[in-house]
Amino acid sequence: MKFVDDSQNLRVRLRLIQAAVLLLLSVLGVRLYLLQIVNGAHYAEIAENQRIRLLPILAPRGVIMDRNGNVLVDSRPIYSVILSREVTKKIDYSLLKPFADGLQIDAEILKEHFDQAAASPAFESILIKEGVSQADISWVDAHQLEYPTLRIEQTPQRRYPENGLLCHVLGYVGEISPEQLQQPQYRDKGYKPGDVIGQDGVESVYDEYLRGRDGYRKVIVDSRGHIQSEVERVEPQSGQDIVITIDLDLQKAAEDQLRKSPQGRGVIISMDPNNGEILAMASAPTFDPNLFSQRITTKEGRAEYQKLLNDPDHPLLNRAIQGKYPPGSTWKPLMATAGLKQGAISIDNSNLVCAGGITIGNKFTRCMGGNHGSPNVHIAIEKSCDGYFYRLGLKMKLEGIQSMVDMFDLDKRTGIDLPHEVISTTPSRELKARLYPRDPDWKDIDTVYSSFGQGQDVLTPMALLRAHSAIGMKGRMFVPHLLKEVHPIGAVGYDAMKNAPIFVARPQHLFEHQAPKNLNLPTDQSDVVVQAMWSVVNEAGTATGIKLAGFDIAGKTGTAQVVSLGKEGSEHKDHSWFVSYAPAFKPEISVVALIENAGLGSRFGAPAVRAMYDVYYAKTRGTKETGNNIAMKIR
Amino acid sequence: MVAVLQKRTIRDFDWLIAVLAIAIVGFGAWQIHNAQPTETYWQKQLIGLGIAFVAMLGIAFTDYRRLVELAPFLYLFGLVLLVIVLIPHIGMKINGQRCWIKLPIAGQFQPSEFVKIPVVLMLARYFGKHRTGVLSWKELLIGGAILGLPMGLIMLEPDVGQAITYLPLLAIVLFLSSVRMWMVAAVLIACIAGAPLAYTVGVKTGLLHGYKLERINVILDPENADKRGFGYHTWQSMVTVGEGGLTGARGSEYSQSSLKFLPEPHTDFIFSVTAETTGFVGCLLLLASYGLLLTRLINDARRSRDRTGMLVIMAIVGGLVFQIFINVGMALGMLPVIGVPLPLMSAGLSSVLATFIAIGFAISVQLRRFVN
Repeated sequence: MKFVDDSQNLRVRLRLIQAAVLLLLSVLGVRLYLLQIVNGAHYAEIAENQRIRLLPILAPRGVIMDRNGNVLVDSRPIYSVILSREVTKKIDYSLLKPFADGLQIDAEILKEHFDQAAASPAFESILIKEGVSQADISWVDAHQLEYPTLRIEQTPQRRYPENGLLCHVLGYVGEISPEQLQQPQYRDKGYKPGDVIGQDGVESVYDEYLRGRDGYRKVIVDSRGHIQSEVERVEPQSGQDIVITIDLDLQKAAEDQLRKSPQGRGVIISMDPNNGEILAMASAPTFDPNLFSQRITTKEGRAEYQKLLNDPDHPLLNRAIQGKYPPGSTWKPLMATAGLKQGAISIDNSNLVCAGGITIGNKFTRCMGGNHGSPNVHIAIEKSCDGYFYRLGLKMKLEGIQSMVDMFDLDKRTGIDLPHEVISTTPSRELKARLYPRDPDWKDIDTVYSSFGQGQDVLTPMALLRAHSAIGMKGRMFVPHLLKEVHPIGAVGYDAMKNAPIFVARPQHLFEHQAPKNLNLPTDQSDVVVQAMWSVVNEAGTATGIKLAGFDIAGKTGTAQVVSLGKEGSEHKDHSWFVSYAPAFKPEISVVALIENAGLGSRFGAPAVRAMYDVYYAKTRGTKETGNNIAMKIR
Repeated sequence: MVAVLQKRTIRDFDWLIAVLAIAIVGFGAWQIHNAQPTETYWQKQLIGLGIAFVAMLGIAFTDYRRLVELAPFLYLFGLVLLVIVLIPHIGMKINGQRCWIKLPIAGQFQPSEFVKIPVVLMLARYFGKHRTGVLSWKELLIGGAILGLPMGLIMLEPDVGQAITYLPLLAIVLFLSSVRMWMVAAVLIACIAGAPLAYTVGVKTGLLHGYKLERINVILDPENADKRGFGYHTWQSMVTVGEGGLTGARGSEYSQSSLKFLPEPHTDFIFSVTAETTGFVGCLLLLASYGLLLTRLINDARRSRDRTGMLVIMAIVGGLVFQIFINVGMALGMLPVIGVPLPLMSAGLSSVLATFIAIGFAISVQLRRFVN
């Protein structure tokens, strides 16, 4: 100390300051030790994780083809605008408005995407807009500096046929919903938010085959999500192509017939009765599956979907397996088959009185076809005699009818490989009691109604066709199905660590047929019914108008009374049925048609079925269609 | 006479301080380059170093007593600058703070960095007279006024971080001017005990909320704090520091700062960059350099020939150590985020120049310890 200052202990105070300086620096040193030496590895891992990102490369789904190799559904590459998320920061909602304005997106829908991403932090990208235009790409390029996290990526988009062709069979894809993610069948297979999966139809049932394995890019990003460089790239493996049993020509013919029908509503199904392969399955009205794969993220798309849901004609419904209709007279061959088998009638003695109707109690129920005297089973089917079947039903009793239902599996799902199949309604005491609590007991009149395809008989067209096909097949009943074959796909990538491909090859897969259900029909008995159904078309029956020379169609008309009887107007007319198989004695194809609210089965159902046989005949017999457009002529 | 003076001057010149200061700025320029490899901040920093070195020599060879004589004018000039910077079209607004003045050639400068020097001189001048007794309330009040005027103006910018760095200047001067020890102890205890109390009361009454609360919470419990929001700066800085390990993060060409995870890497968080690139070893070396520099300055203060000189050096020491602790403590997640540059390391001409001028004063005091 050069100067004298005795009023204070300056020397001590300076030492104190010196000590305080060194103490503060030591505190920093200790803290450094804790951060860098003790926990260094922990922070290094955090730093690594926040700069490395896996960006998925979406795999295209497999193609769906018809039995002749016609491509029905494929995936085409489109461009999408994706927003990389800033992992270390919150989602910036202030981006909503510039994006919505710049890319012409509905702000509400965009906000939903943001909210969804905010709810799942592990989800790295936010889809801003799908299927962008050249103008959108230019906009993103021009704003690269302002919004470095926006990027354009090629993504596959599902493309379905136009005019809703085969829509109910194909189904559609859509983003997996939060509810689905909770369900074990999705959760356990490693689906994640944003995954596009089959949501209905074949797309849904065979999703596992159709789905590809997404590849990825391992990239280094900065804090704003801007990609700095690519470290690793694994190419995706496409999904497996599948072949379905549908014949496109028959399908088109079926849809054509329905489109021309009086109400534009109905069902046509065609099946190979020898193995259950579905050749055509048309339900009208149709919808456009592209709505779900392409437009559902737009405001217009949402409105379109709402319109579909509210449409009184229910276009989303696959009437073949989700529509239920009283079978009307198409019920009769089933009754006859069971009546013979159960011994209610026999081949030699099958005559029952018609008498133009029957009186139960004090109520007379007439035979729609007039008085057929005392016909045998052949004539009863050929002429569609109600009176005959009233009495056959009374002989078989409810138990006999239920046994028939059981034989034809009418109280079960057919087991077709489509989702949401409904079960037909069949007569039972329990059902009666439930439907009519004031009149709960089963009465003879109930048996009468149940014996000619009204009352509690309400079937899906698929179940009805399957049962009739079994008669044509002399008692062998197959499970209907749509899958024919799954094509194999090769391995992709190579993992040096495991010395194995990253995505292993997926093998070919053929549909595995179950053994058909054997109804144990004596051949002579089934022949009687087949003969009668042949006569319906080829002799003096109710559908002689559709006779096709050189091709023995066996079939049965039906007219299903619509429940809302008493109302006038064409939309309340009866449903028109025709169910058939051909050639009658060695069936190759079976067809059922149901035309909603059209009228008599012979006038609408039968010609529609004939149009199908025309196409089939031309394809298999190499002859030009005969009686072209017979449906039009008759109408 | 001149020759003798010069010979003595060169012999007595505290080369160690100058070399340490230059070395730290050089080391800092390397870190600035690491932080912003694509920018020219590090080159500007080296140019700034050259200017600052010349300024330091100029001050060192000027008699500090003459400058202390001029202190009232310098102080007044400083206050004028602080008022000018508040005028909208002259003061530049960056991040909501109006604390820069744009000059035609030299670019922009920050008056609040430089005004510390006249404040130090003013305090030294007032408290540098020969003391006979304990500090009086009047002296305390005048000292507070000398500090309060510029601090108030800086708060108006508003630049609270910079304003806080003025506090240790007065604190040190008072401490060395016979402030009663019980008062010092009382203030220290009040600070240590008061902080947790203030936090608890603040949270309970809701006075402490929003980003202020978050910035404190991230220090108390970083793993569970709002790392994506207001805790972001602190959390990312801790990750960056921790990643450095013993000898610096290697094997990755992409650093926290070049990927922009670390904000303000070349200014406020330059220490985090240092920690990432040089690890524990480099950081300790840097802290040791600061320690050596400060110890050397305190030694020079002890040997100064009058109270004024001693107070000038010690006020500078107080300012430096306080800034170092606040800045590094913030980078290490011990203190809330306050925008205070790290002396000699952070990029910025104003800061480097002001620090070198301060060191120049210290050398000037030290050079004249034998002169009568």
